[in-house]
Amino acid sequence: MHIASQNKEKQRSELSYGRKFDQSGRELRTMKSRMKTLLVAAAVIVTAGIVTESAGYAQGASRYRIAYIARAQGDSFAAWLANAIQAEAKKYPDVSVTVFDGQSRSDLIESHIENAVQNKFDLIIIQPFDPTIEINPVKRAMAKGMKVIATNPKFSDDSVPSVDASPYQQGAENAKLALTQIPQNARVVVLLGPAGNPHSMGRRDAWQKEFFAKRPDVKILDEQIANWNKDEGMRLTEDWIQSHGKIDAVISMNDNMAAGAIEAIKGSGATTYPLIYGVDGTPEACLLIKDGKMASTTLQNANDLAEKSMKLAHDMLTGQATNLHEFIQAELITKDNVDKYIELHKQLGNIK
Amino acid sequence: MTSQKIKLGARWSALTSRYSIYLIMIGMVVVSSILSPVFLSETNFSNISRQISITTILAFGQTLLIICGMIDLAQGSVMALAGLLAVIFFKATGFLVPSLFLGVGVGVVCNLVSGVIVTRFNTPPFIATLAMQTSARGAALLLTSGQNVYQLKNFVVWGQGVILGIPTPVVFLISVTILTWYLLNHSRLGRYIYAIGGNQEAARASGIEINKVKLMAFGVNGALVGLAGVLYMSRVNAGLPNAGVGFEFDAMTSAIIGGTSFSGGIGTAIGTLAGAFIMGFLSNIMNLLGIQSYLQQVIKGAIIVMAVASDIASKSKRTKTILGNVEEKISKEKI
Repeated sequence: MHIASQNKEKQRSELSYGRKFDQSGRELRTMKSRMKTLLVAAAVIVTAGIVTESAGYAQGASRYRIAYIARAQGDSFAAWLANAIQAEAKKYPDVSVTVFDGQSRSDLIESHIENAVQNKFDLIIIQPFDPTIEINPVKRAMAKGMKVIATNPKFSDDSVPSVDASPYQQGAENAKLALTQIPQNARVVVLLGPAGNPHSMGRRDAWQKEFFAKRPDVKILDEQIANWNKDEGMRLTEDWIQSHGKIDAVISMNDNMAAGAIEAIKGSGATTYPLIYGVDGTPEACLLIKDGKMASTTLQNANDLAEKSMKLAHDMLTGQATNLHEFIQAELITKDNVDKYIELHKQLGNIK
Repeated sequence: MTSQKIKLGARWSALTSRYSIYLIMIGMVVVSSILSPVFLSETNFSNISRQISITTILAFGQTLLIICGMIDLAQGSVMALAGLLAVIFFKATGFLVPSLFLGVGVGVVCNLVSGVIVTRFNTPPFIATLAMQTSARGAALLLTSGQNVYQLKNFVVWGQGVILGIPTPVVFLISVTILTWYLLNHSRLGRYIYAIGGNQEAARASGIEINKVKLMAFGVNGALVGLAGVLYMSRVNAGLPNAGVGFEFDAMTSAIIGGTSFSGGIGTAIGTLAGAFIMGFLSNIMNLLGIQSYLQQVIKGAIIVMAVASDIASKSKRTKTILGNVEEKISKEKI
C-alpha cells in the first residue's frame, strides 16, 4: 500500500548518511539536540526559581533565622499550620522563617534538619511525621548546639521543647458530650485513622475511657481503618448500612471520614441522620454541624499552635524562655457555637 | 477416534481457560451470597458498582496502555488535578456540562504531555509518567494551597445522581466499557495497539506509525482519567487535592487479574471489568462480614495471587494439551 512512500523513504535514508528528514524533506533535529533543549529549558526554570526564592530570602535579612519543617504541605492541616506560622512570623521583625516540606517522608525530614544545621539557621521548628524516627536527627542537631521546637505532635523525649495539642483531650471532649446524647443500647460504628498513628490512637483511647467504659449498653457493630480519607469512610459506611441496617452513631477519629459517612447516609436515602462525631474542626465539618447533620467535632487550632510556637521560638532565641512545653486547648464545636468557627474559617479564606 | 478425543479435550480446556476469570468471579458471588444474606440485594450491588466505577474506568485506561507495552503511574494525581480544576471551574461559573469536559480535557492534555515525552524523547513510560505523577500532584496542591474545596452544590450529580434508576457513575462505567471493548476489538487503533504490544518492531515493519498510536493510547487514557477525576470529586462531594493516591495500582491490579499481560499484546475490556468486579466483591464482602482491617489486606493479597496464578495455570495447561509446552506461543495465540 505504502510502497511508493516506503521507496522514497528508503532512498532518502540511503542518501542522508544518518541524517533524518520528515515527509516534506526538512531535516529533523536529532534526538540529542531535542534532549538538550529540554534540559536547558528545565535548568532555566529551576535557576529562575532559586533566584526568586533567594531574592525573597535576602529581603528578610533578619537577626534570627528559623527553619520550619512541615510534615507534609499536601496534608490540609499541615498546610494550614505552615501558613499560620508564616503569618505569625510577621509579628516578629527580628525573625525570618523559611518553610521546608517534609512530604510525609522521615528521610527527607532528616535531610532538612541536617541542611538547616549546615546552613546555620538559629532554630528549627519541626512538625514530626514519625516522631519515633525523627527524634534521632533532632538529637544529633541539638548536640551540635541547634535549638529545636517540636509542634503537633511533640516527641516523647521531653528534652525537646514542644507546643502540642493533646489527642486524648480532642477525643475526650466529644466523648463526654456523647455520653449525654447517644441513646440507651445504641448501635455504633467506629472509623479509625492509619494504623499506628499516635493521634488516631490517642483519640480512640479517650473514647474508650470516657465513653465506652462508662456505657456498656452501647454495642460497637464494627470498627475499621479508613486512613483519614473521605472516600474510604464513605465506602465503609455504605457497606455497614447494608450489613447492619440502622446505625445510631458514627464515631470517627477525624472530620474527613465523618463527612464520608454523611455522604453514604445521604446516598442511602435515609431521612434521619445518626449522631456523627469527628475531630479537627475542618470547614466542611463546621458547615455540616451548622446544617444539623453532624453532632460535634473538636478544633485543633493551627493559629494557636503557630502563635505559641513562634512565641516559644522567640523566647528561646532571646533567652527568655521559661516553660519549654506548651499545650493548646481543644475547642469543642457544636451547633451552639459553630457560627464563631465558620467565621474563623471565612477569615482564613477556607469558606467563601 | 483419538484425534477427536484430543479435539474435545482441547476444546474443553480452551473454554475453561478462556473463561477461568469469569468462573472465579461467579465462584466469589456464590460464596459471598452464602456468607452474607444482604450480599445479593439490589442496593448492595448498586453500592458495589458505584464503589468500583472510578477505579474501573482508570483500569480501562491502564489496560490500553499495558496492552501497548506501556504504563501510566500518574493516573491518581492527574485524576486529582483534573477533578479539582473541574470543581473550581464549576464553582466559578456554574456551568455543569462544560466542567465535565474541562476535567476530561485536563486529563487528555496531561497524558499527551507524557505521551510526547515517551515518543519524542524515547523516555520509558515508567519514568515519564512518574514525573507526571509528581508534577500533577504538585500542581493540584499549589492550586488549592493544600486545602480541600467544599460546597460543590449541583456538581454532585456526576457522582451521586441517578439516570433511569441507574446511578450516574455506573452509567459512565457501562458506556466506557462498551467504548473500550469497541476500541480494542473493532477499531483500527485497537488492532494497532495489540500489534505494537505484541512486537513493536514487527508492527513498525508492517507500516504502523508507532508513535502516533502510542500518543493516541495516552490520549484515550487521559480522557478516562479526567472523567474519573470528575466522578470522584462529585461522589465524595469535595475537591480533594490529595485524592487518588495509589489508584493507579488498584487500576493495574484489576487489569492484571482480568488477564492483561505485562509483557504486552494481551488483554481484553471485559476481562478488566471482571477483574474490577472481583476486587469490588472482595472488599465489599469483607466489610459486610466485619473482617478486621489488617486481616483484610492479607486476604486481599492472597486472593489476588490465587486468581492470577490459577488463571495462568489453566492457560498453560491448555497450551500443553494443544501445542506442547511452548510458552511463547501463548501470546501469539491470544492475539
